[in-house]
Amino acid sequence: MSKYPCTIRVGTSGYSYAEWLDAGFYPPDTKPGAMLQQYTRRFSVTELNYTWYQMPKAPAIERMRQQVPSDFQFAAKLTRYLTHEIDADQWRTHAAQYRDGIAPLIQSGQLAAVLVQFPPSFQRTPQNRHYLAALLDELHGLRAAVEFRHVSWATERVYVELERRQTALVSVDAPGLKELFPRLDIVTSPDLFYIRFHGRNARGWRSGNMQKQFNYDYTEAELHEWTEEKIERMAGQTCSGLLFFNNHVRAQAPQNALAMIRLLVDQGLMH
Amino acid sequence: MERSIIHLNVADFAVAVERVVDRGLQDRPVIVAPLGSARAMVYDMSEEAYQSGVQKHMLLRTARRLCRDASVLPPHPDRYERAMRALFKQALPYSPLVEAGDVDGHLFVDTSGTSRLFGPPVDIAWRLRRQVKTDLGLDPIWSVAPNKLVAKVATRLVKPTGEYVVGAGEEAVFLAPLPVWLVPGIERDDLSRLKEFNFTRVSQVMALSLEHLQVPFGNRARFLYETVRGIDVSPVLPAGQQRPAVISDHDFDEDTNERTILEGALYGMVEHAGRRLRRQRRAARHVSIALDYSDGIRCVRQAAAKPATANDLTLFKAARQALNLARVRRLRIRHMRLTCDRLVFPPAQMALFPEDRQTREKQDRIVAAIDCVRSRFGRDMIHVGRTLAA
Repeated sequence: MSKYPCTIRVGTSGYSYAEWLDAGFYPPDTKPGAMLQQYTRRFSVTELNYTWYQMPKAPAIERMRQQVPSDFQFAAKLTRYLTHEIDADQWRTHAAQYRDGIAPLIQSGQLAAVLVQFPPSFQRTPQNRHYLAALLDELHGLRAAVEFRHVSWATERVYVELERRQTALVSVDAPGLKELFPRLDIVTSPDLFYIRFHGRNARGWRSGNMQKQFNYDYTEAELHEWTEEKIERMAGQTCSGLLFFNNHVRAQAPQNALAMIRLLVDQGLMH
Repeated sequence: MERSIIHLNVADFAVAVERVVDRGLQDRPVIVAPLGSARAMVYDMSEEAYQSGVQKHMLLRTARRLCRDASVLPPHPDRYERAMRALFKQALPYSPLVEAGDVDGHLFVDTSGTSRLFGPPVDIAWRLRRQVKTDLGLDPIWSVAPNKLVAKVATRLVKPTGEYVVGAGEEAVFLAPLPVWLVPGIERDDLSRLKEFNFTRVSQVMALSLEHLQVPFGNRARFLYETVRGIDVSPVLPAGQQRPAVISDHDFDEDTNERTILEGALYGMVEHAGRRLRRQRRAARHVSIALDYSDGIRCVRQAAAKPATANDLTLFKAARQALNLARVRRLRIRHMRLTCDRLVFPPAQMALFPEDRQTREKQDRIVAAIDCVRSRFGRDMIHVGRTLAA
């Protein structure tokens, strides 16, 4: 039994990577279509990245859902039409389409959260603040978690507003670059804390190449920083937590996630 | 290894290019058609014009009646070719396997095995689309799928804008609810035969076994059986490598629509293509004719050569059939192109009936004799009477 009434799930951002075959995470010759089933043997949650690239479609989501055990959970990334390529006239329609697309996960109770990840170009301007407020209203009931990539959002007023809305602020572990949103452990929702581990590859982050940006292997000490100093405190303030590793390039993500689970179990935060 | 094929499709390519050149054409109906000709036909049109009922190859005056506020522009094939080359160049950094369509805004990129370098195929597709939009001002629809067939259907589904990702193993489920006409490769004859059985959806055809399909479709059954299940092993050709084909062109001194002149020129082209095929020890299973009319409109039609052949006489029969299909307008013709493709090794199977066998052998002997005379005494030493008319 865990010491806290907080249920923590650890997983990776995406699960379908050819590199994970080479790294031995998946058995050799695993077909892409069979990766999710293999993944569910090790983890109880995953973050869906493809819902950012493509507007989710309910039949496809339902087919995917049927491949996993009923207690498996998904965090779905919000479509890029609502975070990166916002069309002032169309975004409400896109929000409705998105909600329809992920409906099978909502209905089955397997939607752990909706990840609203903004790009570094989304800075704290009056226009963007109004948009964010309207977007969160539109996503009401979907358990949104907001990830900022720009430091301008790191202010008390933002945390207070998220807290008022009971919306989780995503804690990010990323390189310590001054324009990036800092590594914080602030909890703004009584229901959820959400941490994303992107890796600390500062040179790769600036390269613009995803394969360099997320190429990083966390050391045991770096993971300890989180479990001992932050996660324990965060878990004390909420009833659930999601931790995702996005450093997928050489299959470091699943290895680091498994290491994180071991640490959390040792600490009595997971069972 | 599982394949990941990206398909980029710039909808209404000619209009999209014209809109890059003239920003004033954005968000308004546009028709591309040759001007100054009484029977000019629509070459391409924008989505707005399409919604008003305008279609390709429709008479321009009908199109104008249907969409009165449309801007009508003359076609600029050189512009479209330049845009196509630029589009092609954008994809080259991501894969050596890039195959472009025929100046139609279609591009296949095989990104299988490149994820270690460039990330997941879906991310490559998204970045590629973003680059094309930034650098060229074109906004392609994109899809990612395990093969070309499914990738192409996927972009057709989201036209005029959007994206579609079909995962490995999902090909059949993806195609099942779609209408049969949406699947490339299922031709007019197949559709009308399927309609006779009241089959309009892919799922209905999918329910039939190969044996069932063989009853009405014969040799074509295997193709249909695999196509409706989303099975397609055709490769994306390496950049710069054209599909193996033998092409012959003919420019008429004066534009003409005279049957004897056209057929005479065609026979000359067939002789040229046939000789090259025989030299390569290949035979063609497919012949197409492209006619460029004097108003700039191109009409392409094709015919199958059954069995595959490199013999001038049988090739001509198929080519003439394609020519008759392409020669549907009263306008004169400026240029004619013959393409012999789907090349195979000459069939070893002999004809079943002695009469057929004898005819075939006789035809082969005649062509071999002509080749022999020409190789010894020069090309102009012997002519087939038909070519003298051209």
